[in-house]
Amino acid sequence: MMPGEVRQTLRRRLPPASTAIVTAYLLTAAGVWLGWWGSDWAAIAGPGRVGPSVEHWLGTNLVGQDIFTRLLAGTARAFEIGLVVAIPSTVLGAVIGGLAGYFPNRWPDGVLMWLTGTLDAIPFYLFVIALSYALQDQPGAMQLAMIATFWTLTARLIRAETMRLRQLDFVTAARVSGVGTWRMIGRHILPHTTHILLVQSSIVFVAAIKAEVVLSFLGLGLQHSVSWGMMIAEASQEILAGHYMNFICASLALLILVLAVNHLTDRLQRRLDPRTRAETVKRMG
Amino acid sequence: MSHGRFGRLLLRSTLGILPLLLGVTLISFSLTVHFGPDQTWEMLGRNPTPEQVASVRQQLGYDRPFVVRYADYLVRLGRFDLGYSQASGEPVLALLGRTLPVSVALLAPGFVLGIGLALALALGASWRPGGFIGRLCSATSAVGMSLSLVIVVIALQALFAVWLDWFPVRGWAVDGPASYLRHVAIPTLALIAAQLGYSLRFFHAVVQATLNDAPVRTARALGLPRRRILTRYVLRAALLPILTRIVFAMPLVLISGSLIIESHFGVPGLGRVTWEAINSGDQPVLMAVVSLSAVLFVLALGFADLLGRLVDPRIRPT
Repeated sequence: MMPGEVRQTLRRRLPPASTAIVTAYLLTAAGVWLGWWGSDWAAIAGPGRVGPSVEHWLGTNLVGQDIFTRLLAGTARAFEIGLVVAIPSTVLGAVIGGLAGYFPNRWPDGVLMWLTGTLDAIPFYLFVIALSYALQDQPGAMQLAMIATFWTLTARLIRAETMRLRQLDFVTAARVSGVGTWRMIGRHILPHTTHILLVQSSIVFVAAIKAEVVLSFLGLGLQHSVSWGMMIAEASQEILAGHYMNFICASLALLILVLAVNHLTDRLQRRLDPRTRAETVKRMG
Repeated sequence: MSHGRFGRLLLRSTLGILPLLLGVTLISFSLTVHFGPDQTWEMLGRNPTPEQVASVRQQLGYDRPFVVRYADYLVRLGRFDLGYSQASGEPVLALLGRTLPVSVALLAPGFVLGIGLALALALGASWRPGGFIGRLCSATSAVGMSLSLVIVVIALQALFAVWLDWFPVRGWAVDGPASYLRHVAIPTLALIAAQLGYSLRFFHAVVQATLNDAPVRTARALGLPRRRILTRYVLRAALLPILTRIVFAMPLVLISGSLIIESHFGVPGLGRVTWEAINSGDQPVLMAVVSLSAVLFVLALGFADLLGRLVDPRIRPT
């Protein structure tokens, strides 16, 4: 698809409710980054396990930290993890897929597809376990493991699209005018795959946020920090004593953000996918 | 079907998975053995002499090149010579043999029922697009994809074990069918719920695409019974993607399920052993779990590939 078409599609109205929700989350995270709120998530603000009040909107946790503040800080952490994983893994998938698809059935393709298949064949959680063992609990093992494995689907899709694009006349024209391999992939082929990259990066964004919850629950996630996953992990012990606030807040925060991003991704995919696009245009016209 | 065709297909599937086997063992070896933490000091007593250090390093093979150590690792893995757990001193093979059946008993019902329910719902939803089941499926899979297994497990535990008090809160005191059912209830519900997201959506898409195929449209136009169309035409034509999806769901659902459920409920299965090995840095256990799971998964992929080729009439003996 032409880059201009993608821009046009994005300019058309997206589902308002989901857009509003994602924007609200993003503003919340931005406020934390700017230090407006959520920066004293570790402070002990009052007695432990009190219910919602004017002072503590959502109550406090086991040790007396304000749940609302931790929720705000967790929102920023979720965006950080999502972006730190989604951007590099999409770039990696684009480069590897473009390179493999530009030389189909030659050695770069063979080696890169073998790497893709191998990483797909290692169960993700075991890969994280092995990597954090090898890195000896250095921070960042979780993010590194996600970046190292989440690019594979993007690479497969970009490879297929590149194999299609390289047959087209404009690529041939560029090649006879002496454009080199890297410039060809970067300037002439990948800009025509932005519709795939956009949807994939949003899928990886959600996958990273969800994986963080599981890994933090297992003690393989972030350290000395606060996140929705860590809130759920600490809440898992409070549930037995009948304290649900921490758990419900963190779970709902995750559920609503992921629902909204998934919904936006679905819409975007349906609009950008040539197979379903004609239908959408007809309906809108 | 001739034996020659089966043999050819078997050979092809086997050759197809060899590079993958090489790849997954290479990564497992690199991460858990070669670049892992130095094990020398785990094996030594206090105040070792330089000679003792050197002899342990030689024993561990740290003085040998990468390729030699990798080959040695492959031989040991092939002979199931997995060493001893550093935490308990138990042979790792015995440890796996003791805990794997518990994990299978814990997770198999939920995995199988989840696949079955997702498939049944997908068939029902695709038969009448836009109908009640269809809309129910879209809503269910949208919520299911947004939930984390961790949240589902804790919520079900809070609801059924803490609040309603129907099932045990944690533990694995199984001594008969009745106690087994009570302990397996919450994990089963959690795994079913976990699969109603991605699996349902995937099955729905695949079945819907197959229903639009010419043979299926013809069969519907001829007025063949619904059950016959769905089983003989739709399921058979969609078998390969469905099988592949099931195989790919296995590590995702079973490994994360085993780690989350067993560590949270205190069930003495493979996931809990792995979780404890992570926390204590028990290298032989981690190496065995990571390597064997990856190898098993590749074998399952090869098996699904073979099965898909066997039922696909387009692949004829040449």
